[in-house]
Amino acid sequence: MKLKKYLTLTRAGIIEALQFRLSFLVMVVGNMLYLIVVYFLWKAIYASAGTDVVNGMTFTDTLIYLVLATALFNFMEMYTVWEIGRNIQSGKIVLDLLKPMEYRKYLFWSYSGSFVTQFFLTFLPTFIAVAFVTHGAIHMGLNLLYFVISVVLAVSINYSIDFLVGTICLYTESIWGINIMKQVIVLLLSGATIPLAFFPEPLKTIVGYLPFQSIYNAPLSILLDSAPQPHTLLVTLGTQLLWCVVMIILSKLFWKASLKQITVNGG
Amino acid sequence: MKRKGFIFYLRIYCKILAQDLKSKMSYRADFIISTIGMIFTNISGFVSFWILFRNFPSINGWSYYEMLFLYGFSLVSLTPVQCFFDNNWSLRQNVYSGDFIKYCFRPINMFFYYQSEVFDIKGLGQLAFGIGTLIYSWAKIGLAFTPLMLLKMIVFLLTASLIMIALQNAAAATCFWIQNSFYVLDLAFRFRDYAKYPVTIFSPIFRFIFTFVMPIAFIAYYPSLVILRPHEIPLLSWLSPVIGILFFWASYKIWMHGAMKYSGTGS
Repeated sequence: MKLKKYLTLTRAGIIEALQFRLSFLVMVVGNMLYLIVVYFLWKAIYASAGTDVVNGMTFTDTLIYLVLATALFNFMEMYTVWEIGRNIQSGKIVLDLLKPMEYRKYLFWSYSGSFVTQFFLTFLPTFIAVAFVTHGAIHMGLNLLYFVISVVLAVSINYSIDFLVGTICLYTESIWGINIMKQVIVLLLSGATIPLAFFPEPLKTIVGYLPFQSIYNAPLSILLDSAPQPHTLLVTLGTQLLWCVVMIILSKLFWKASLKQITVNGG
Repeated sequence: MKRKGFIFYLRIYCKILAQDLKSKMSYRADFIISTIGMIFTNISGFVSFWILFRNFPSINGWSYYEMLFLYGFSLVSLTPVQCFFDNNWSLRQNVYSGDFIKYCFRPINMFFYYQSEVFDIKGLGQLAFGIGTLIYSWAKIGLAFTPLMLLKMIVFLLTASLIMIALQNAAAATCFWIQNSFYVLDLAFRFRDYAKYPVTIFSPIFRFIFTFVMPIAFIAYYPSLVILRPHEIPLLSWLSPVIGILFFWASYKIWMHGAMKYSGTGS
């Protein structure tokens, strides 16, 4: 019966998300417009390069990579930092802490409903559109399964990082600044802005040792690799799993230590 | 009611500005962190630009320094919207909660009063960054420097900034009709990033869209041509100040139309 209480939160989340149907439409339209812009921009870039393959990536690879990175961002972004920050400022966090569930889990599961809706309403349409535009350049095989596993791990890593950063708000009471810093760092160093393959050498190695590349670069490289070596696959997923565990432990410990800090003004 | 003059509004603006700065100063940590966050945003934008040009020396006949010029131009022309019109982001909460009604009862222009309430100092960092980029690329391209060019530059920068202000006003004003305008606003905000690329990379249809429907090409591309390619200036470049003013006026009308029909929430 343990799972039931979590799934209730998921259900509530789905119902809540469906209240804002228009926003999904705007988001899908936005993603399509983004697809178009990225398409033309990189087409021009590749046309100026003179070669078809740059750093091991073709134009279609880059297109799929970048558009799906944005779709994944929409799917994974839970505005956790905002939520925690706002709850601290308004004092609502006291009520959440009293709930018979760990705050970390409560927050995650109350958002899980939007994962479901986001997946079907924004990620899937974008995915289909990209597959259509690139004339089936996405290999449809086992790599899809690995991709899904990789995305699940990525969601967990992303959430842990968000939660970790959100905890900082307990000390600073600054939301916007903390959130923008996190977002900028994650998006740049995870490859969501420019594929990691394009990074110059020392930077690429450094980024490889950071947890961020496990969020976007890992699942997307798995998806683009139509004939993966078992070795590479294992290393990618293994690294993700490692970061997943490390970040969960870190964010839990930090939250536990920080909870003593909390001061709530009214509520 | 007698029409209030420019001096009157300027005096009021300074008074409101002083109050806003005072209230911001009481959250010093937040201010410092936000400023650092803004610097992060600019650095990451520049880093991704730099990585891109390490792989591709030119895009569509535009060299690195010319693109840098466009980049700096877009940064500077996007500063006013950041500094003076940031309150647009809170419009939907104000409308939703009913707080917006307080603006309806003041004997001054509603649009003016609403926007004057927030001045975002963080934008000044972006301004400094943009001006630095502009001067650096100006010197590297080897453009001449005459008072006339400086004058042209200032006029075109100011009018280019009106475009983004207009887009944001119109996007924010949608909340008078639809409940959650965040996605519309976010969409308009995301397109700002593409203002720094030459519009010639797009196909004719999208060139038309980005020129007349979503006029992001007027944020940097058309006005920069006046400075960068003085021998082949298209008519649209000369028209860009007019178009800036036109779009601003239209967005003001939309905003006011929405505000005038606002009936409050009854609380």
